[in-house]
Amino acid sequence: MTATKMLARDWRGGELGVLVMALVLAVGVVSGISAFTTRLQNALEQESHRFLAADLVVTSGRELPAQWLQSAADEGLQSALTLQFPSMVYVGEDAMSLASVKAVTAAYPLRGEITYSTEPFGPVLAAERGPAQGQVWLDSRLFALLDVTVGDEVTIGDANFVVAAAARTEPDQAASFYGYGPRVLMHYADIPATGVVQPGSRVEYRQLYAGDAAVLAAFRQWLEPQLRDGQRAVTVDEGQPRIGSALDRAERFLLLAGSLAVVLAGVAVALAARRFSERHHDYVAIIKSLGATSATVNRLYGTSLLLLGGIATLLGCLLGWGIQALFFYLFADQLPVQPGPSGPRPYAIGAVTSLTCLLCFAWPPLRRLGLASPLRVLRRDLPMESRRAVNDYILGLVAVTLLMWWYSQDWQLTLAVLAGLGVTVALGFFLALTLLRGGRLVGMSAGSIWRLALAGLQRRGRTNALQVVIFAMAIMMLLVLLLVRTSLIDEWQAQLPSDAPNHFMINIGPEDLQDIEQLMRAEDITSEPFYPMIRGRIMSVAGEELRSGDDVQEGRRQREINFTWSDTLPNDNRLLAGEWWVPGTDEALVSLEEEFAERMGIEVGDSVGFLVGSQPLEARVASIRSLQWQSMRPNFYLVFPPRVLADYPATFMTSFHLDAADKGFLNQFIRRFPTVTVIEMDIVVEQIRTIINQVSAAINLVLVVILAAGGLVLVAGVQASVDARVHESAILRALGAPRRLILGGLLIEFATLGLFAGLLATLAAELSVFILQTLVMDMQYTPTPWLWPIGVCSGAVVIGSLGVFSCRRVVSTPPVRVLREL
Amino acid sequence: MAGTELAILKGITLEIKSGESVAIIGASGSGKSTLLGLLAGLDEATGGSVDIDGTDLGALDEDERARFRGQHIGFVFQSFQLLPALTALENVMLPLELQGQNKVQEQAQHYLERVGLASRVGHYPLQLSGGEQQRVALARAFASKPAILFADEPTGNLDTATGEHIIDLLFELNREEGTTLVLVTHDQVLADRCQRRLRLDGGALVQE
Repeated sequence: MTATKMLARDWRGGELGVLVMALVLAVGVVSGISAFTTRLQNALEQESHRFLAADLVVTSGRELPAQWLQSAADEGLQSALTLQFPSMVYVGEDAMSLASVKAVTAAYPLRGEITYSTEPFGPVLAAERGPAQGQVWLDSRLFALLDVTVGDEVTIGDANFVVAAAARTEPDQAASFYGYGPRVLMHYADIPATGVVQPGSRVEYRQLYAGDAAVLAAFRQWLEPQLRDGQRAVTVDEGQPRIGSALDRAERFLLLAGSLAVVLAGVAVALAARRFSERHHDYVAIIKSLGATSATVNRLYGTSLLLLGGIATLLGCLLGWGIQALFFYLFADQLPVQPGPSGPRPYAIGAVTSLTCLLCFAWPPLRRLGLASPLRVLRRDLPMESRRAVNDYILGLVAVTLLMWWYSQDWQLTLAVLAGLGVTVALGFFLALTLLRGGRLVGMSAGSIWRLALAGLQRRGRTNALQVVIFAMAIMMLLVLLLVRTSLIDEWQAQLPSDAPNHFMINIGPEDLQDIEQLMRAEDITSEPFYPMIRGRIMSVAGEELRSGDDVQEGRRQREINFTWSDTLPNDNRLLAGEWWVPGTDEALVSLEEEFAERMGIEVGDSVGFLVGSQPLEARVASIRSLQWQSMRPNFYLVFPPRVLADYPATFMTSFHLDAADKGFLNQFIRRFPTVTVIEMDIVVEQIRTIINQVSAAINLVLVVILAAGGLVLVAGVQASVDARVHESAILRALGAPRRLILGGLLIEFATLGLFAGLLATLAAELSVFILQTLVMDMQYTPTPWLWPIGVCSGAVVIGSLGVFSCRRVVSTPPVRVLREL
Repeated sequence: MAGTELAILKGITLEIKSGESVAIIGASGSGKSTLLGLLAGLDEATGGSVDIDGTDLGALDEDERARFRGQHIGFVFQSFQLLPALTALENVMLPLELQGQNKVQEQAQHYLERVGLASRVGHYPLQLSGGEQQRVALARAFASKPAILFADEPTGNLDTATGEHIIDLLFELNREEGTTLVLVTHDQVLADRCQRRLRLDGGALVQE
């Protein structure tokens, strides 16, 4: 008899269904999630590259070597140049304003788009490229400040330009926005004519590169060793930490989800294979009595399994492709980005998962079939061969660990999940056995349904403990995923609530402060507090003079920096070391931001020397703070007590939220307060929010898929014990037990298992999440008391109903038929 | 068995000649099935030996015994033991296929016709009555032309009339094929149709 024939016959007999289903789902879920996340990651990465206007950017205060551009072109990469510098813009003799000029080549931007409007604050339009030679685009505010309209001429240095449009946004404008003033966009080729860029000018040169990821990576590797002091290569992670960290966390979450899918799939396959093997015990006994050797049996099942694996893998890959295609189809509206290609890797992962599941989960129980005693044809009460079951679990655990590690390439993540699993398994058996025993004692004094149910639980104590552990594993993983997802999305949403500040206002003179506060109140615009801002230079640390010079980019050097003063710790700031000062103190103290202090090598108690204007200032470091750069609120590296800075000249700054519909306010505002600089961050905030929404949507989708995989494990777990329970129930039914007694007993039995599993799962989930959040996700851990009732109740309800549902035929079918079928 | 050792069969010496038909009778728990399992090479004895046609079954390992069973022994069981996933024809073909024989379908077909099931070859066991299932089991047992046929309560799951019909068929086929028949039963009428009857009582053999 060939294996194909046996497979075909088994298939007709319906025995293979569960196993194939589990395998197909395993491959489908793993490859589907993997393909989905790969494509989504590609897409999101593309999207996030808009924030750099390129894939890779090299910056420097001096002109960058032109041969790099040539090399990039030789490799097939695109490139563009930008140059940013402060300059005065004049209109005749009458009006002038300091502006932040940005000169760009025609290829700019390589990613994302520039927007403009035909009149100040008018409807926003997308542009293919920046201004043509001889033209400039002005920030909307400059129109008011310089009193010009489109078509007028302005002067920058020695050259005149025609105002062609209002410049609205550039993709990379979030990169550096402090300091200069409203934007003027011009063509790169016009720079020489202006004559304003001289050696030593404060300028920033940028070379932008984009193209194929692999070529770009190679190019970066080639380029980096050639970078000299003051030259820096930046990719999206470094250029936009906000997006970078969101993407990174999302990626880790998706990897975690995928890894859990692998584990869940493995467990489902193992359960299905075990059941398949148990149901085939009699089959094997018969063919062995008819003359089949154990080698024949192994060959039969081995070949069948391989064939089955091949078919299931193919079907699974198809399913996986379908899953991700469906996701992208369903959520096309939510994902304005074009998903990139996934390549073959997700399907290879699916195939390897399938092979591993077959070898480590499905084969061990099937291999034991070869050892089945033919004597079972005479005596069905012979115990089944299950001595090596423990080894199977160890093999499975090792396989899962390797698979998870290979899949996530992250041992911390793997270990966090394994720790949770370990606790579940170890505590699980102990607790389950103890609790089940305790349950029996309670049951002895209870009514007959309870006695029946609890006696059943106790009788199959070990099997039930195993079942509790399996249920708990599945529930735990779902809870972990739910928790991490919730805290991730909550944190993102909290960072950028819909009324988050999206405009900054700087250079507010003390004389304007009261009027502006009044105007804001009158217009019903809520703003953050107005912070004083003083510009100074850090000169020495702990008595050691710092070097100066723009070429010294990293580490300790003299630098210009903005300070503020405050009697209280600013909102969102957290004290990490030292103490906040007593309000009203006139001691020369200063509080430093954490990363700044680290970069400069400054600790609490050090004395730091500053130069403010031309006056020296010496202060002792009183505390070190962390702050939320993502918050879009004014943030400062250095904070002094108010009285210490009272004698220095200060301007003020704040941030506020302005709806798109209210943008007209800015026109009016700028006319009234021409010296104040308003920085529009609304488009950038909107871009960030879009990305975060996309990632959140993806995460929710993946959660749904994993829920399905977890559901499959629960079904497989319930199925595994259905035969024995149906058999017993059929006997009770034959003895005349009413429907209520049987279903009630089953419900109590499964619900009790589910209750224990839920309890265990919640405990293990808390532990896993603690490890994940503190070690892997770099987030704050907070205990989740709300999880406990959810975990415990859902365990009892879901498993109770699944159990009763799976056993329902016992009350709907005559007992004789049930007994004969088994 | 855990703890105390339990002797199921005690000091049984028994010889069955080729072509003979022997009934082993006894009450439930007298050790009939255990003896059958040992004689047929389905089980290993903790002491003593079983010799079939010059082959000492105790000297063979389970795989060798399996091959031996396939070549020399046929079975008919009380609970039929047909494979539910296979059709009647496939069930009969199975032992022949396991021996690697050719043209198994024709042979199987022939024996199914012989037991009167020509029209039901494509049916699955669950679609057949108990009597029909046992007839398929008979066809399966004889199709591999065994030297010895072991029958374990072959009518135990059947009503009297059907049981008689099956037994008639069993003895007919046995005569035609010249098979040695060892039949385990607690049915005296059935036992009386055999040439020799052995009674098991508390694990010991009593000649009738």
